[in-house]
Amino acid sequence: MAVVTVVLADDHPIWRSGVARDLGDGFRVVGEAADADEAIAQIRAHHPDLVVCDLHMPGGGGIKVARACGEETRIVILTVSEQERDLLDAVAAGAAGYLVKSIPADELRRNLVRAARGEPVFSPALAALVLGEFRRMAKQSSGAQPLSEREREVLQLVARGHTYKQIGAELFIAEKTVENHVRNILSKLRLSRKQELIRYALEHGIE
Amino acid sequence: METGLLRGLAAFRWAAWLWIAAVTFINRDHLRRPVLAVILIGAALAITAWLTALVRRGPAAMLRRVPVAVELACGVGLTLCDGWAYGGGHAFATSQSLGVGWPVAGVLTAGITWGPAAGGLVGVAMGLARFGATLANGVALSSLSGPRVTSLVSTAVLYASAGAVAGYVATLLRRAERQISAARAREEMARTLHDGVLQTLAVVERRADDPALARLAREQERDLREYLFGATGAPIGAGGDLGSALRATAGRFEDNFGGRAQVLVADDVPSLRPDAVDALAGAIGEALTNAGKHGGADRVTVYVEPHGRGVFCSVKDNGSGFDVAATPEGVGLTQSIRGRLTEAGGHVEVRSHPGDGAEVCLWLS
Repeated sequence: MAVVTVVLADDHPIWRSGVARDLGDGFRVVGEAADADEAIAQIRAHHPDLVVCDLHMPGGGGIKVARACGEETRIVILTVSEQERDLLDAVAAGAAGYLVKSIPADELRRNLVRAARGEPVFSPALAALVLGEFRRMAKQSSGAQPLSEREREVLQLVARGHTYKQIGAELFIAEKTVENHVRNILSKLRLSRKQELIRYALEHGIE
Repeated sequence: METGLLRGLAAFRWAAWLWIAAVTFINRDHLRRPVLAVILIGAALAITAWLTALVRRGPAAMLRRVPVAVELACGVGLTLCDGWAYGGGHAFATSQSLGVGWPVAGVLTAGITWGPAAGGLVGVAMGLARFGATLANGVALSSLSGPRVTSLVSTAVLYASAGAVAGYVATLLRRAERQISAARAREEMARTLHDGVLQTLAVVERRADDPALARLAREQERDLREYLFGATGAPIGAGGDLGSALRATAGRFEDNFGGRAQVLVADDVPSLRPDAVDALAGAIGEALTNAGKHGGADRVTVYVEPHGRGVFCSVKDNGSGFDVAATPEGVGLTQSIRGRLTEAGGHVEVRSHPGDGAEVCLWLS
């Protein structure tokens, strides 16, 4: 794969320079931004392969960026805490995945290469959050599309820390099939979040 | 909240004063000592105005010994002098007494200022002043019949409960207010630390060339995270005691083996009995030790989700793995993991392939 072009968005300059240094030769940073609007402008100007974006920034953060540019490029959210429900919103808004800021440099690079290829970057913590979200929706019988048994199995194995390859071996399916399951899970999550927003708006008379 | 309570009380004081003023004006022909009545009602007016001014300045100005004592004294005066001001036998007449309503404000203030016990006592004292009024009225206590004694006692009981309830409510309000402000301060601090210190520690951790420094930053980050999100219930990572116990266990693994152990506890995990938490934390600690010691793992994921009415836990490492069928179970697995779980009513399964890490799955219902 050719050099991956990246836009870095984080309101801490020291963090941006640190990530830029860690990315190394396989990546080229084409733009940097300190808030959501700047990030969106940089993405529109440079059309990067990948955006590495902080969850919390002035003016909306990663969720706003994902909402605006999630279709145009792959957005990976970087966050300090892996256990925030905001992450679900970011993913539902169109982020390709998220990583924890304390991730070691080699792992960061590996994951970003995968994200640039279009694979969903799904950490165990995010899988755990999504599983919990689907359990919550099932309990509320919200009418959202539930996960199939196979999807639940896949998601639980991701949460338990299995790689896609290991999951494929465990369930006797191809690694690509595992990826497809993960993609389907994501689109179900997006759909149900959208439905939830619409229902909320209807119930509260917001038009 | 306290200010609101005191403002309400100030309004009540004005209403009660207007009432005694009106009642006294209507009954002016029955007054034997009109000057005394006017002096007392005038004093009540002055105190009502003074206390209203104090409340405007804030609860601290109002809730002091002197204002409360002055109000109480005036209340006792009104109650006690009812008999002198009016003619004989007024204490049990159907017409309203001088001491109606207004003295209750003093009892309430005392309760708010000094707490429920003092409020109750002051209420009793105010009730006893009615006995005094009876005496002043020229009625001998010995001549009091059952219903009249009951009437006096019930007044005392009402005053006492009013004082005690006011004290109790004020105590509750103050406690709630303290808790709310503590929670706000903590939230504010959490936000500041989250945006600042946690970010900085993450930077230090990743950019430090000295492994000891990176580890120190990691430990500090972990402690801070536990403080901010751990005990009080983070979105995920709740699970009450189990979450805290597992994060502590994971911390020990990181200290001993230098790897990373991530703990993921779903927020809808049911709360478990303390012995079940101990059994799980102990078993998972042993599984982590095995992962570090025998598997040489440096990445472990501990995952907990609800399973029926109990929980499912897994400990997955990236270590060397082993052939489950061909490897005899060591003491650690047999006793520390399987033994603990079986005793607590659960079961264990170990999955591993050589070269592909190991996973210990635990079910506990």
